[in-house]
Amino acid sequence: MKEQLHASRVQLTYATVLSWTSTLGIIFVVAGYLVYVFQLLPAAVTPAEIAMQWHLRASEFHKAVPVPSGWDWVSQLGRGDVLSYASVVYLSSVTMICLAVIIPLFIKEKDRIYTIITILQVLVLVFAATGIISGGH
Amino acid sequence: MNQKVFPATGTFFLLTMLVWLLLFFPTAASAAQSQPAVQTAWWVWEIALFVFCFFLGIVAVIGGVGGGVLFVPIVSSFFPFHIDFVRGAGLLVALSGALSAGSPLLKKGLANLKLALSMALIASISSIGGAMVGLAMPENVVQLSLGATILGISVIMLLSKNSAYPDISEPDTLSKILHIYGIYYDEQLQKDVSWQIHRTPIGLLLFIVIGFMAGMFGLGAGWANVPVFNLVLGVPLRVSVATSIFVLSVNDTAAAWVYLHKGAVLPLIAVPSIAGMMLGTKIGARLLTKVHTRVVRRLVIALLAAAGLRALLKGFGI
Repeated sequence: MKEQLHASRVQLTYATVLSWTSTLGIIFVVAGYLVYVFQLLPAAVTPAEIAMQWHLRASEFHKAVPVPSGWDWVSQLGRGDVLSYASVVYLSSVTMICLAVIIPLFIKEKDRIYTIITILQVLVLVFAATGIISGGH
Repeated sequence: MNQKVFPATGTFFLLTMLVWLLLFFPTAASAAQSQPAVQTAWWVWEIALFVFCFFLGIVAVIGGVGGGVLFVPIVSSFFPFHIDFVRGAGLLVALSGALSAGSPLLKKGLANLKLALSMALIASISSIGGAMVGLAMPENVVQLSLGATILGISVIMLLSKNSAYPDISEPDTLSKILHIYGIYYDEQLQKDVSWQIHRTPIGLLLFIVIGFMAGMFGLGAGWANVPVFNLVLGVPLRVSVATSIFVLSVNDTAAAWVYLHKGAVLPLIAVPSIAGMMLGTKIGARLLTKVHTRVVRRLVIALLAAAGLRALLKGFGI
């Protein structure tokens, strides 16, 4: 395992968290999709209804079909379509989780530059996730 | 060499057929964009998308390109989905590929966290901007710019000559301040290779452009990250490829959130694409030693160019 000697402790921690969270993400995404398409849970919109409109622009599509977007699904987790969407949201949060985990390690190592860079990076991603700039829900 | 004949011939025919379809059946694809595909059951499109992405994953690995860059122009040509959803799915395809590949590369010390974090911060901000602009643009302008970008990528891929071990005599001041340097074990040389970088400010500026384009078109940006790391900053090729994957995971996360908030992510399109592409890349990696990668790479570049041309024609309404 000679290669491992060259990865810092912070890097190894990031890699370990990434391995777990991304594997979980892929499992969630596939499971959520199967629950939805096989209609194991009730859904507000069926796949057939979505397929009727998926040629439309996203903005027009959402006027025609009430599918989840942004964070507007949080209170409706018992629905199959929402579960599938939530799994995609989780996958899009994996990087944030990994970065947040390494901030205390940079602080512990007194690495001020990378503590600041990592905090700023997390803030940028959180900012995108809140939907403030993109007019999210 | 005989072992290589069958897979190479199969891949050759598959790619040639795709190029031919992209160039000579433009009307069928444009018709699909403007009206609902009521005549075809939704699950047929789902299976077709999964199978298509599976083959795209194989071709992408053998051709040495990221799946994301092939996904958007080709899927938007053959499938009835609006390009907004294709771009959203494209980002998630690239993101999930990067997330699953990231861990072993970081553990081996091939991907460098400090190099990636320095570049990703600025690139992720611009990828948010790119996603906002891309989703606000009229469809024909998106197609025109996508076409021009894809054609540009084909040229870059055709002409760029990577340098496996760039020789940097003196690192620049910014890279010293940011402590960007490293050492990794090179399996080919069977020894440790240390590296440092130069031209960091130029690299940062280029990553602003790369992030913007990745967000705008939903493309994975490995095609641009690797040459900038390798040829501009002077990072060894293996470290460039590995670190590019890490940067991609941060940039695409930022852009994906914009697409999520704008309602441009449909799990019904994104998930079969992710699953097909991931499975395909695994098979592609196994076939890698059995096919003539150089021939396939050239065909993939031809495929990209045809997809770019196709997007340009769509943009002009042809």
